[in-house]
Amino acid sequence: MTEEEKVSAVKRLWQNICDTVYGMAAHDMSRAALRTRASMEHLFILITMGDLLGIPILPPYYSLRLLPYVVPQIATWKRRMLREKDVADAMF
Amino acid sequence: MGFKDVFLQHPERRYIMFGGGGGVGKTTFSAAAAYWLASHGKKVLVFSVDPQASLTDIFKRDIFGKGPVQIMQNLWAQEIDADKHIRAYQQEIRQKILDMYGLPAVPEEIENYIQAASAEPAMEESAMFDAVVDVVMKGDYDYYIYDLVPLGHALYYLSMAKVYDEWINKVTKLREEMREYEEMVSRIRREKVTEQDQILQELLYIKNRINTSAGILTDKTKTAFFFVVIPEAGVINDTQKAAKLFAQFDVPLSGYLVNRVIPHELLDQNIPEYLRHRIAMQDQNLGGVRAAFGDQVMTLVPEMERDVTGLPMIEKLANIMFA
Repeated sequence: MTEEEKVSAVKRLWQNICDTVYGMAAHDMSRAALRTRASMEHLFILITMGDLLGIPILPPYYSLRLLPYVVPQIATWKRRMLREKDVADAMF
Repeated sequence: MGFKDVFLQHPERRYIMFGGGGGVGKTTFSAAAAYWLASHGKKVLVFSVDPQASLTDIFKRDIFGKGPVQIMQNLWAQEIDADKHIRAYQQEIRQKILDMYGLPAVPEEIENYIQAASAEPAMEESAMFDAVVDVVMKGDYDYYIYDLVPLGHALYYLSMAKVYDEWINKVTKLREEMREYEEMVSRIRREKVTEQDQILQELLYIKNRINTSAGILTDKTKTAFFFVVIPEAGVINDTQKAAKLFAQFDVPLSGYLVNRVIPHELLDQNIPEYLRHRIAMQDQNLGGVRAAFGDQVMTLVPEMERDVTGLPMIEKLANIMFA
């Protein structure tokens, strides 16, 4: 094993340790934070683009300005807003 | 204080507005005030935010949707075409979507939304007032004379501006909270901080636009707001109510102008009974005007012998108003 290979093996090992520690300690935290953020994103689209679901929340002149930024999220947002809720929602 | 004195004593009041019910002569007075200021060497833009604008008729020039059109030396007039403004705005949004995502066409669902949004009644008012911000912010003129929409619309816009402002504050806060979560995730994962939130930037822009347009209407140092009334009981009552509401929104009221007063000299002539009754009725209502508005009544303008259209008639009216 050359010197270089040794170094990269140590690096890999270190990376694996880092990932494991991250997975044990922080993964849930960041997942929870992302979920919260996603909920907020949907709330945001609801209050700015409510008309898309037939809920006119506020005059649309300026909300049109925001429309381009939320185009990719609109499909998932609609699905989430319109689906039926069940017990599994609380679990996952 | 006379109408003229407001301009002489307060040269800093550069946004002059005429409000009042429909058909009392707002546009006519706007044109006359613009004419007087322009003929006294001030650079003036008179513009209309009313979809049923009539500056075109008054100046006998087709100016609708053509940007500022020069009427005479120092005097420009502009009628904003809200529909055109909205169409251009929609196109801008579409183009942005296409550019941002490299799409060949706007997705149907999104296109439907753009169409539906533009059919809302509030769209036109918002578009008008937004266009006004552009006009005024350029600052090319000494005086900006607003021919306002009838009372209801102006009040509606002012109240909307307040609601909008609060709404934007809330949305901005939500956006900032979202940002905190994003940053938290980045920290936990030891990633670089994510790029700037463009939506937050847009929100701040929108907030700034709304505050500017509502701010012009309520600026105590730069704005003078005049109510135009005619000596009829119904109009006086409406104006009194409107004045209270305007005061609640901090619009700086500078005074009241009475239009269409039938000249008393007619009484010396052989006139029909009908006209005598009209004059008696107006006298009574003028008493009502004085009781309601006191020394804030700045000038009485007589009913003219013919329509005020074309520069000679506008000049005649201006000389009476600024006597």
